[in-house]
Amino acid sequence: MSGPAISNPRRATGGSFLIEDLGPEDIFTLEDLSDEQRQIERATVEFAEKEIQPRIAAIEAKDFGVTKDLLRKAGELGLMGVDVPEEHGGLQMDKVTSALIAEKIAICGSFSVSFSAHVGIGTLPLVWYGTAEQKKKYLSRLASGEWIAAYALSEASSGSDAMNLRTRAKLSADGKHYVLNGEKMWISNAGIANLFTVFAKIDGEKFAAFLIEAGTVGLAVGPEEHKLGIRGSSTCPLILTDCQVPVENLLGEAGKGHHIAFNILNVGRYKLGAAAIGGAKNAFRGGLRYAKERIAFSKPIVSFGLVQQMVADSAAGIFAGESLVYRVIGAIDASLAELEKSATTTGEIQKRIEEYAVECSIVKVWCSEMLERLVDQMLQLHGGYGYVEEYSAERAYRDSRINKIFEGTNEINRLIISGWTMKRAMQGRLALLPAIQRVMDEIVAGSKSREGRDGELAEQRFLLANAKKLSLFCAGAASEKFGSELAEQQEIMGALADMMMEVLALESAILRTEKMQGRSTLAVAMTKYYAARSVRILETSAERILGAVAEGDMLRTRMAIFHRLTKHVPENTVALGRKIAMAMTEVGRYTV
Amino acid sequence: MRILALIRQVLDAEETVRIRAGEVDLSASKLVVDTMDEYGVEQALRIRETGVDAEVVALAVGPERNQEALRTVLAMGADRAIHVMTELALDPIALSKVAAQVAQQENVDLIFCGGQQADWDSHALGAATAERLQWPQLTWVNALEIHGQTLTGRHDAEDGSEMFSVQLPAVITTQQGLNEPRYPTVPNIMRAKRKELRVESMESFHVEPKLKIIGAEIQVKARLHKILDGKDATAAAAELVQLLRDEARVIA
Ligand SMILES: Cc1cc2nc3c(=O)[nH]c(=O)nc-3n(C[C@H](O)[C@H](O)[C@H](O)COP(=O)(O)OP(=O)(O)OC[C@H]3O[C@@H](n4cnc5c(N)ncnc54)[C@H](O)[C@@H]3O)c2cc1C
Repeated sequence: MSGPAISNPRRATGGSFLIEDLGPEDIFTLEDLSDEQRQIERATVEFAEKEIQPRIAAIEAKDFGVTKDLLRKAGELGLMGVDVPEEHGGLQMDKVTSALIAEKIAICGSFSVSFSAHVGIGTLPLVWYGTAEQKKKYLSRLASGEWIAAYALSEASSGSDAMNLRTRAKLSADGKHYVLNGEKMWISNAGIANLFTVFAKIDGEKFAAFLIEAGTVGLAVGPEEHKLGIRGSSTCPLILTDCQVPVENLLGEAGKGHHIAFNILNVGRYKLGAAAIGGAKNAFRGGLRYAKERIAFSKPIVSFGLVQQMVADSAAGIFAGESLVYRVIGAIDASLAELEKSATTTGEIQKRIEEYAVECSIVKVWCSEMLERLVDQMLQLHGGYGYVEEYSAERAYRDSRINKIFEGTNEINRLIISGWTMKRAMQGRLALLPAIQRVMDEIVAGSKSREGRDGELAEQRFLLANAKKLSLFCAGAASEKFGSELAEQQEIMGALADMMMEVLALESAILRTEKMQGRSTLAVAMTKYYAARSVRILETSAERILGAVAEGDMLRTRMAIFHRLTKHVPENTVALGRKIAMAMTEVGRYTV
Repeated sequence: MRILALIRQVLDAEETVRIRAGEVDLSASKLVVDTMDEYGVEQALRIRETGVDAEVVALAVGPERNQEALRTVLAMGADRAIHVMTELALDPIALSKVAAQVAQQENVDLIFCGGQQADWDSHALGAATAERLQWPQLTWVNALEIHGQTLTGRHDAEDGSEMFSVQLPAVITTQQGLNEPRYPTVPNIMRAKRKELRVESMESFHVEPKLKIIGAEIQVKARLHKILDGKDATAAAAELVQLLRDEARVIA
């Protein structure tokens, strides 16, 4: 494992970024990658370009033989063993490396989902909860890609509400088997998997996970779904009819299966973020190539301001997204690296990752929505060609959509972001309430002069500092009104989540750019450009909250504070956008 | 025996060439090991894998970033690497002087070199190295076997192919079809970290390139934006044919 590039990683967990100010040296950025990480990244790019790219048409035509073959090749290269311990044929490397792999694999949405479902939700439950025998039996086969894994939690009547699943398990009379009955829905890799992690309730009560091999009597895989996107990934229902699972294939403890189900999702979420960045870079490259070649009114369309605006907006989105994703995963790595000095249990690893649950959800929601905007813009600049299958823009547009639905819908994740933060505050694990108090005091005392560092991003730092205050101010106002009922006010919780997401994304972009110390004028431009968008979202969300929690004089007073906290002089985003678009056009892809 | 694989780091074929101050600017570009050189590395590894007691050494000459290319080759399986560090732009003839000296210092028996350099489109490096060493060279090889001190193989000729055999030492230049280079695997990338990568300074080789690049520019394909008046369709068609034949010269 390569050492952490940051000094004090335990900070900034579980929403503490709202109340702490970090410096550039406190965060991990893509510029901090080690030589091996870069090499593994390059090796993955080569695999993606030479092996996946030429087979996309076959993958999309649901030729699952091709997918299986590619998974095996990826296994041979070691790309699937990064989260697996060495004694089971894996490489047990840092999470940044596994995110880089997820990012670079994502040039094809379908394959990316097959890959992630296998290495993530498919394999990790076994890594984290498997007994020595279970691991010995299955893990090296999964790491090598010889076997493919799937994770079956969702059911027709319970997706988000997974705790209410209906699949039942019952111990057989001789105590040798669990007998499972029920149906699962939308299971990725179901059509190609050799091993399923299936969730069920023992005697209708105890939540539990079971390892079920394909071919087990009573386990049937239903027909492939016909999907909007990621059409080349296998998604089927599972039907369990008196399916006999040997007792030794119970995974983890009976009654604690929900820990497995939910802890895995944190990893799934940050990896989804990384994959979204990869998908975005790939779509961006395709869009840019087209915009350089397409002639309209005797000019390449990339010379038109409104096309450049789409290019700049997309590029700035990728930049902020990269900054966000790798900052969060880098912090998780640094936290895990501390563990390794002592003997580590997988329980401790999970606990450390869970500390970042809020950040993992932010990465998931923010990146999936950035990607959605980007593929829309890339399709748009293709004009009519964007709407037909000839160019990949159409596929990228369809493929991006799933990211807002699985690994917890974006609504559910928004509720986690603000809900967990508030909960931690109530439990006294996060000093949110004193911070809110400080902001209120400061406001009452009148505004101070601008603080913070100078430098090119002084204005953005100022915006960020005020964004944090505004978020705290809104959280305070909302808590005051609703007290312990706040969690029920989903629209407000959603708006708070939006504010938190923007704070974290903007802060990540600013800190990364500062860490570059002027080496990239493009990074400066993109940070400024992105900040302008952030501010708009923050303002809209704050207005939604403030308008809902007070009226009359109280509302007017609060709006005066709102105006003070959002006051700023706009950047020239037209000039910045042109500069960004020109630099990207020259290089022909996303670059920093 | 010892096999030397010459490695050059070149612009990825997908990348856009950029010019700054009259020079090709590679600073923000994605660079890769020249595919032709990868065939050489792969072949060297295959020779070693037949059970021949061989050490595979990779050599790159150029700026610091070349070490990235060497690490990749080490991850493919080369045993060690030598990096001769220089900011000088070396033409193939100058470069061959370094290659030949390293080959002698290292007591090399066999040298692999790409048949053509992706950036210069030159075929000279292998030939010039062989000439300096007074070794036989075999160019554009697309099949190769080794038995003791004898290499046998094949290379394409204009209308077919030629078979050859030669005694070591020799210089072999590669071409597509020789083999399918392996990918560096993640475990091998980790292992490569511990392999020797020796850095040497350029001075000891006494190389002064006689050829200097004094400018570079990108070919701009200007469009004429000529629109033919189509009121008289027959005349317009005739004019179009005439333009395509005589001006654009795209039809005969
Ligand atoms: C292609 C694909 C692959 C998948 N792969 C897998 C897999 O491998 N394994 C697996 O187990 N599952 C998988 N799923 C299932 C997926 O995780 C669920 O579809 C998802 O969690 C949403 O659940 P649902 O479909 O039941 O929607 P619902 O939960 O019914 O949600 C419907 C809508 O209501 C909203 N909503 C629901 N509850 C709330 C609430 N409390 N507050 C506010 N809004 C709410 C949701 O956000 C959504 O907009 C996959 C789905 C698809 C489409």
